[in-house]
Amino acid sequence: MEDTLFISLSFIRAIIERSFMQYALITGIFVGFLAPLIGSFVVIKRLSMIADTLSHFTLAGLAIGLFFINTLGLPLGDPLYLGMIFAVIGALLIEVLRSYYRNYKEISMPIVISLGTALSALFISLSGGFTSSVYNYLFGSILTVSLQFVVIITTTTVVILTLVFIFYKKIVIVSFDEAYARLLGINVGAFQFFTTIILGLVIALAIETVGVLLVSSLMIIPVAGAMKIGKSFKNTLFIAIIFSEVSVLMGLWLSFVFSIPSGATIVLFNISILIMVVILKKLFSIYQIQRKQDKESQHSA
Amino acid sequence: MMRIKVDNLSFGYDYRTVLKNISFSIESGDFLVIVGNNGSGKSTLIKCCLGINKVPENKIFIDDIEINDYQKWINIGYVPQKFDDFNYEFPITVNEILTVSKLSKLDEEERLTLLDKMGILELQNENINTLSGGQLQRVFITRALMNHPKLLVLDEPTVGVDSDNIKAFYRMVNDLNSEGVTIILITHEIKTSKANFSHILHLDDGRAELTHVCDIDFGGDK
Repeated sequence: MEDTLFISLSFIRAIIERSFMQYALITGIFVGFLAPLIGSFVVIKRLSMIADTLSHFTLAGLAIGLFFINTLGLPLGDPLYLGMIFAVIGALLIEVLRSYYRNYKEISMPIVISLGTALSALFISLSGGFTSSVYNYLFGSILTVSLQFVVIITTTTVVILTLVFIFYKKIVIVSFDEAYARLLGINVGAFQFFTTIILGLVIALAIETVGVLLVSSLMIIPVAGAMKIGKSFKNTLFIAIIFSEVSVLMGLWLSFVFSIPSGATIVLFNISILIMVVILKKLFSIYQIQRKQDKESQHSA
Repeated sequence: MMRIKVDNLSFGYDYRTVLKNISFSIESGDFLVIVGNNGSGKSTLIKCCLGINKVPENKIFIDDIEINDYQKWINIGYVPQKFDDFNYEFPITVNEILTVSKLSKLDEEERLTLLDKMGILELQNENINTLSGGQLQRVFITRALMNHPKLLVLDEPTVGVDSDNIKAFYRMVNDLNSEGVTIILITHEIKTSKANFSHILHLDDGRAELTHVCDIDFGGDK
């Protein structure tokens, strides 16, 4: 107990005293909020694979950025900018392919993911192979984010939340019922185009937290748990965000205490919550069935 | 006013032509029933008239406005077939669906009156994936009525609904029509529907024939 308290106190002290922990906490809280919020609309549209596809395409941008900076010596700043541009290009490419293959829309995903992975492999090799930067892109490095990144994520969160607030009704209608949205005069094509770009940007930023290979789990797993117990749409969004934030905070704490990778810890905590939800939900439904049977047997007696 | 004119419309998906040279028109306050075998193009025609399927210019006019230029979609309520397009597995309550679908200024008293009239007042806070087929149908009709439509389009709305609810449903549709709402209804149960329709559009192999109701002999069924 004392150990736990000691560990908690040292974690809190680190947050108060060390700027890298403050940056990690702010980034974690914002990404933990944005990822399931946007992820909910992705799940409703049954497009869960889009997050994985865009994260792999973003990695191509990051790898090309590393190549330009490390190998060619171009002053491009942070490869993240090129990653964000690639996330948007990948999002647009998916939309173009989805409209081209109207009856086989899911084909767009393997095409874009293959292109992203191939470009990543090529440029990672050209920029010096499997360096620590590449490792961080693959598995996340929330404890190494810069102040500049904190400013970017804060601005993006504020902009995206404002857009979701303004277009909330339209986003919900388009997500749940495209045909009805068209009837209401909403330009569904333009709307999807726009929301896919936002999705790309969120994914590019979330990569800093859990990495390319785990970013889709940050968007999808909290929603998968929340939709099993949510009583309404807003309630489900709220629960998903709570699950996500708890996972981020617990993941940060555990990774600090045990010196283990933060991204993997966050995702494993997320999955633990999902497993608990599934088990508790199952137990609750068994209890309800038994209670109903008891009542019926009492009535018949 | 709600007048629809379809002028020599042909429409298809990819290489398959579904509608061939369709022409008909209905006036404000009419009650049109569209009948035809499965695959005859009934739902496709409806989706063309609603702007969901994009059609060539000068083929469909709503209130004399070319459909691609038509803006007042708020005047039209639509209840789709089987709600296939709606994702009702993700949690969302009846109230939330109706709130996001509401574009006009329906005040709270009007909203409650409509919900009561449709028999879903007590279902407001229910998750839609817990509702029966009949309840779900009433929710979607209520959604279509939220914006005070002048035209109500119903695509096989009574499939999977029990006979008592079907009777109540047609009573409600007839009442709306007598209040001046133009109705377009796709149904297979034309003789037993108890709908007070004024015109029938018969679709066969993509071609259409419009008949005024007074010219039809129902053999006492209607």
